[in-house]
Amino acid sequence: MLTFVGLGLYDERSITVEGRAAIRDADRVFAEWYTSELIGTTVEALADHHGVEIEVRDRAGVEQDPDPILDAAASGDAVFCTAGDTMISTTHVDLRLRAEERGIETRIVHGVTAQTAASGLTGLQNYRFGPSTTLPFPWAHGADGLPASVTNTIDENRDRGLHTLVFLDIKAAEEEYMRADTAASLLTEAYPDLVGIVVARAGSPDPLVDGGPLSDLAERDFGDPLHLLVVPGECHLLEADALETLADVDRKSLDVA
Amino acid sequence: MGRRKKIVQECERLMDEPENIRNIAIAAHVDHGKTTLSDNLLAGAGMISDETAGEQLAMDTEEDEQERGITIDAANVSMTHEYEDTNHLINLIDTPGHVDFGGDVTRAMRAVDGALVVVDAVEGAMPQTETVLRQALREGVKPTLFINKVDRLISELQEGPEEMQERLLSVIRDVNDLIRGMTEEMDDIEDWTVSVEDGTVGFGSALYKWGVSMPSMQRTGMDFGEIMELERADKRQELHERTPLSDVVLDMVCEHFPNPVDAQPMRIPRIWRGDAESELAETMRLVDESGEVVLMVTDIAMDPHAGEVASGRVFSGTLEKGQELYVSGTAGKNRVQSVGIYMGGEREEVDQVPAGNIAAVTGLRDAIAGSTVSSTEMTPFESIEHISEPVITKSVEAQTMDDLPKLIETLRQVSKEDPTIQIEINEDTGEHLISGQGELHLEVQTQRIEKNQGIPVNTGEPIVVYREAIQRDSDTVEGISPNRHNRFYISVEPLSDDLVDTLRMGEASMDMPELERREALQEAGMDKDDSQVVEHIHGTNILLDETKGIQHLNETMELFIEGLEEALDNGPLANEPVQGTLIRLHDAKLHEDTIHRGPAQVIPATREAVHKSLIDGHIAMKEPMQDVRIDVPNDHMGAASGEIQGRRGRVDDMYQEGDLMVVEGIAPVDEMIGFASDIRSATEGRASWNTENAGFEFMADSLQRDKTMEIRERKGMKLELPPSVDYF
Repeated sequence: MLTFVGLGLYDERSITVEGRAAIRDADRVFAEWYTSELIGTTVEALADHHGVEIEVRDRAGVEQDPDPILDAAASGDAVFCTAGDTMISTTHVDLRLRAEERGIETRIVHGVTAQTAASGLTGLQNYRFGPSTTLPFPWAHGADGLPASVTNTIDENRDRGLHTLVFLDIKAAEEEYMRADTAASLLTEAYPDLVGIVVARAGSPDPLVDGGPLSDLAERDFGDPLHLLVVPGECHLLEADALETLADVDRKSLDVA
Repeated sequence: MGRRKKIVQECERLMDEPENIRNIAIAAHVDHGKTTLSDNLLAGAGMISDETAGEQLAMDTEEDEQERGITIDAANVSMTHEYEDTNHLINLIDTPGHVDFGGDVTRAMRAVDGALVVVDAVEGAMPQTETVLRQALREGVKPTLFINKVDRLISELQEGPEEMQERLLSVIRDVNDLIRGMTEEMDDIEDWTVSVEDGTVGFGSALYKWGVSMPSMQRTGMDFGEIMELERADKRQELHERTPLSDVVLDMVCEHFPNPVDAQPMRIPRIWRGDAESELAETMRLVDESGEVVLMVTDIAMDPHAGEVASGRVFSGTLEKGQELYVSGTAGKNRVQSVGIYMGGEREEVDQVPAGNIAAVTGLRDAIAGSTVSSTEMTPFESIEHISEPVITKSVEAQTMDDLPKLIETLRQVSKEDPTIQIEINEDTGEHLISGQGELHLEVQTQRIEKNQGIPVNTGEPIVVYREAIQRDSDTVEGISPNRHNRFYISVEPLSDDLVDTLRMGEASMDMPELERREALQEAGMDKDDSQVVEHIHGTNILLDETKGIQHLNETMELFIEGLEEALDNGPLANEPVQGTLIRLHDAKLHEDTIHRGPAQVIPATREAVHKSLIDGHIAMKEPMQDVRIDVPNDHMGAASGEIQGRRGRVDDMYQEGDLMVVEGIAPVDEMIGFASDIRSATEGRASWNTENAGFEFMADSLQRDKTMEIRERKGMKLELPPSVDYF
């Protein structure tokens, strides 16, 4: 059996009770830390917390050489965990399919993900989000400047009046996390007049939500990572109320239906 | 005022009169006497003393050149000569004849309008004669012929007048056959064959400093019979005084080589692809000294005091100190620190150098040999064509760690000065690779690093450079990214020889306007539809993007190309460069989000697709070959041809020429390492020989696996091939 466990948003306590049970009952526990990580803890603390040994696999160890994980799942109970949810933005469906191909039973224990936090903390309705996108570090992608996939996603969502959740690049191995001010300054080039909402440290004891014109956000400091950014589309009355109250946004700058 | 100073002043005066300028190169097969001839001309012009000409080798300024007795770099010199009561300024470049230094010759040809081809009367036209002629004609440079070492025919071989005439005529015939063959398809060149009657052929002895031509015989009243008598009687000094070589040759130069005003209208369209209707084109054709400055850099040299010195031909405008000039291929401008001309091996600073001359410039720190330097942004000159690719590599390591940064800088400098040298810097291991045209080429360059820069280095054994190439079309294969969300579908086909040559010569490149590139590719036989979807050219490989409207492919293409280049630079068999491949990208499946199709995904996917398709196209190793010609007395002929055959070589022809036998054949470069000493001992030192790089050929199937494994072992790669390589 291969159980995919989402570890949630922030530290060792962000996991669900069901996830905790799965980890503690497993014969082997694997984790990948390269797509994201629990910023409030370490792998060692996590292992101690659950009283298990956690084997961290790098990208090649998941994508190119998944056999140790699959072998363990074929002969016993294996858990594969990631920060957030294993299937939402980290797209580990490939590993699940490989397991199914080998006739290994699979199961998913959901985790709380940034997508939940973005809706939850800002008060924007999940019904009104379009596709999300990731803003990569400028040195980490092939295109010049802002990748077209980012601007296309935002543009298409806005055409339809939808919000866009912008994930900010994480290079876990180099301990580099894109901050919201950096993201805002990159986006300002294409959208000098747009409003953005910053969500920082979702799931931690001191989460932050703050909004304003992207050009203002670019000048500010939102503290420790992880950060993400929402570009609101057309706002429902209550959404506008929420942004005004929770994110300190000037209502006049919003597009309120 | 010193004599030298006077000459400099006279040169400066003449620089402003393009009608009286001749820019010429002396080119020949190695040891046919170019440099000795150049010295004669210098002495004739009063630049070095008469007595030492011939021994001084004034133009071989590097210590190693004088030691080895050959010219390695092309050297520049200016001199004056009075012809028909008018003083002429002659800017001369002496070029190396050894095959390993062919890049210098090609670059020199760009700067000049006339090439004095020197041929040894005893040996006749040799393979390098053909090469230098081709290099000259391709650049639109007019040839004349000087047949050297005629004294040996008279004194050594004791030939009679008829025998000698027959021999000289046959040399002229051979050279003319070459010229005719090479200019046949050039419609901008009328008849450029040489003849005694026209005065485009001279004879003589550079060693004994006498020369003769039809016009000189008329002028001095000396006929050939008289010359033979004097030579036989060992009255060479008298011969020199009565019919000095320098007068004969310099008269020929002034009479028969075009001045810049005549030459540039014909040469500009040949070497520059910019707008022919533009004002710039007009000023270059007219050699207009008040036009925009246009300098084509043909050489970069290191001066211990002045730093990097760029030399080249000023095609338009006037070069002056303090000018801010654009350098092609780089951003921003360079400031000219000084301008000068060459006198002997030395640079003389002058106030300005106008159009039509060869100038020496300091301050152009971004320029490399081949750069276009100009006062206005312009289409650069055609890249200077290098006929041969590097075939031999050597590792170079600094003996002490402290020298490491200096060594890296020096290696970069070396490749800047000589673009036929390729450098691979490996900062991790400190073992850098230097690749070039042959054993001697690398030996000279590495010795210069030790001597001139004082960096003690360890060098590895010379290693031959191989290529990998496919033998048939592949099926469409799939390359999958590690996360399996991204997939590329490609197939490969071998490119025709014509297309490969077009790419190698830079006649089609991504730097040129799209329409022009399309035309060049179609001309070389590419399908019209294919030529319209060329996405990238890497070495002699072409990528076609046949996909339509795939979302996100645009922003992924750069990574795809990065993966493609990496996969082609390191072929699937032994990490050797892949050549001559047409790659068709048929389809791609991409993840929605950039982060899941970053470099870590796209590069391995591309690499997998490229290598799988290459293997499906039955990729195999190609090795560099050399044409070999050995001149040897009859009784050593067997030993000589044995030396070729014993090296996996093939003897193509054997024939009598004079009293010698000529053995011609071809052999792999790999087996030719150490040939010099082997042929010497096999023939008791009686053979003279010559090699020339002859491109790459597929190795026999029976050798493929062993050679591949040998290279893999040397490179520390796994000693097994992908199981799909099952066709050897």
